[in-house]
Amino acid sequence: MEFKTTFGRVEINPLKDGNMFHHENLILDIGQELWLTIDSRRFKVHATKVGDDWWVHVLGHTLRLELVEPGASGMDDEGELTAPMPGKILEVLVEEGQRVSSGDPLMIMEAMKMEHRIVASHNGIVDKIHYSAGEQVNQGAELLSLSDE
Amino acid sequence: MIKRVLVANRGEIACRILRACREAGIEGVAVFAGNDSTSLFTELADISIELKGEGLTETYLNQEQIITIALENGCDSVHPGFGFLSERADFANAVIAAGLIWIGPSAEAITNMGDKMTARMTMKAAGVPVIPGVEVKGGLAEILEVAPSVGFPLLLKATAGGGGKGMRAVHSPDNLEIEAKAAMREALNAFGDDRVYVERLLTGSRHIEIQVLADSHGRTIHLGERECSVQRRHQKVFEESPSIALDAQLREEMGEAACEAARAVDYEGAGTVEFLVTPKGEFFFLEMNTRIQVEHPVTEMVTGVDIVREQLRIAAGEPMSCGELQIRGHAIEVRLYAEDPANNFLPCIGELAVFIPPEGPGVRLDTGVRQGDSVTPDYDPMLAKLIVWAPSRAEALQRMSRALDEFIVLGCTTNLRFLRELCGHPDVVDGWTTTDMIERLWPDGWTPDMPSIILDAGLLIASACESSGMGRQKRVNLSTTGESPSPFNTISRRFP
Repeated sequence: MEFKTTFGRVEINPLKDGNMFHHENLILDIGQELWLTIDSRRFKVHATKVGDDWWVHVLGHTLRLELVEPGASGMDDEGELTAPMPGKILEVLVEEGQRVSSGDPLMIMEAMKMEHRIVASHNGIVDKIHYSAGEQVNQGAELLSLSDE
Repeated sequence: MIKRVLVANRGEIACRILRACREAGIEGVAVFAGNDSTSLFTELADISIELKGEGLTETYLNQEQIITIALENGCDSVHPGFGFLSERADFANAVIAAGLIWIGPSAEAITNMGDKMTARMTMKAAGVPVIPGVEVKGGLAEILEVAPSVGFPLLLKATAGGGGKGMRAVHSPDNLEIEAKAAMREALNAFGDDRVYVERLLTGSRHIEIQVLADSHGRTIHLGERECSVQRRHQKVFEESPSIALDAQLREEMGEAACEAARAVDYEGAGTVEFLVTPKGEFFFLEMNTRIQVEHPVTEMVTGVDIVREQLRIAAGEPMSCGELQIRGHAIEVRLYAEDPANNFLPCIGELAVFIPPEGPGVRLDTGVRQGDSVTPDYDPMLAKLIVWAPSRAEALQRMSRALDEFIVLGCTTNLRFLRELCGHPDVVDGWTTTDMIERLWPDGWTPDMPSIILDAGLLIASACESSGMGRQKRVNLSTTGESPSPFNTISRRFP
């Protein structure tokens, strides 16, 4: 089973034994509650699934682990600049065909009453601008695309 | 005498005020926008009335509609909370003109203090020290002109501002124009006023504010300080009282300056005078907030004064009930935000599929949400304020760390882990808290310090739950007949 984490993609295939799942020195007991045993010390943990994401609370840490469906492409979309949250485009600072360097501001958007700057992730040429000033965008919407030089 | 209060606010602060009303035997009336119809604060009110319209302007900022609802529902007073209409002198005037009691200072005091430029000049005249800077009356051209005389780094601030909106630090002349434009635009959107002023950025200083209370019987007192130095994007995340930087003498000097500021505008009610304190112990007036403040609970915890209850008393024309200032122990507040501290603290949305707050001695939670609520982009991303009290600062930090470890929020990214690491950071433990500390401690941004065993455990838990089919069931099954839901129907929603 594969998950996308903040540290990249990780594969894990725990061994199942009744209600117990094993992975190295960790044992998880799945019943009405979730109990994790690490080297014979027992801790209560929490998990819930929202969409494709498993959210896990373990020993004061919260993890969001996105389940990767088998057969899904292993490539992350490169050069795509997406809205980090829903909001409104305030200003477009570049034009299609313009050459930009990594870190250059491309768009300014407003969300939750704050301004956020969308900056170039790498050197390249602005391929396509999908939104203009004043438009509303959803979270994850592709705002513009950059092609490599 | 106040009998029925309309609370012109939402979320956490509406809950705080409505609870205070209930305790005082006063009826509370909530007003809510359509997208808040199931929010917690509507449950805590005696009467809840829906605001017609969409967006902030037609709902929570709609003065006319709010006053009409107050009159139609027999309210005798209006509490504005913080944000929204709380610092709008025209609203205070409209409330009073409608024959209602305004639970706050006079419109004149709001005008004089709410406009930061006027406040600076009032304070200068009253002999309270202000930060070196220039008041700008013209637009962008004048900002560009006066900036060099103030020097870099400098701070652009919305004249009508607050809450970090319209505020920009500028470290070099190269960024001045783009930042000035951004500050003016943010100010225009947030406050309907794009005036900005320029002042020197005092690096390495502390943000320390004094809570004041003034009643109509001639008494103006201060309730000691709150230190709110730890900020990201000019918004506070960690607040405490007392401050490690103040001794009894400085506390008295700053307290007296704050009372002087309040007297200069004939202040009545609860207010906060903010100062910057330099490493040398000089203090400069920043601004006065003419309303209840987000971080008021830390003062309540160490002084034993119920500030909202005093607001109600003062507005009713009674003398305040608190006596001599007594500071006992130490209180800390952290703000739980729906935001990603590992991604420049950008706000996040999601569903609070699991929301289990900490309990135990010395812990207070002020929140407007509960498990199952959605976090939407419509409102401020602050989810809760977690406050602890303990006999000493060291114990308060230990208690906060313990409480944060108990706090479980799943389904929406929060700054929980950031707060937990902050409380254990040696600079915080030593009390070396300054307004630039987040940039100082994490110049390249913050990333969680996560032991590999935690990631392994998380992966084990997620994969085991997934392969046991726990994510596949419907999260809430309401289609079953009248019976209470079987635990198997709700098991994927939460494994307690």
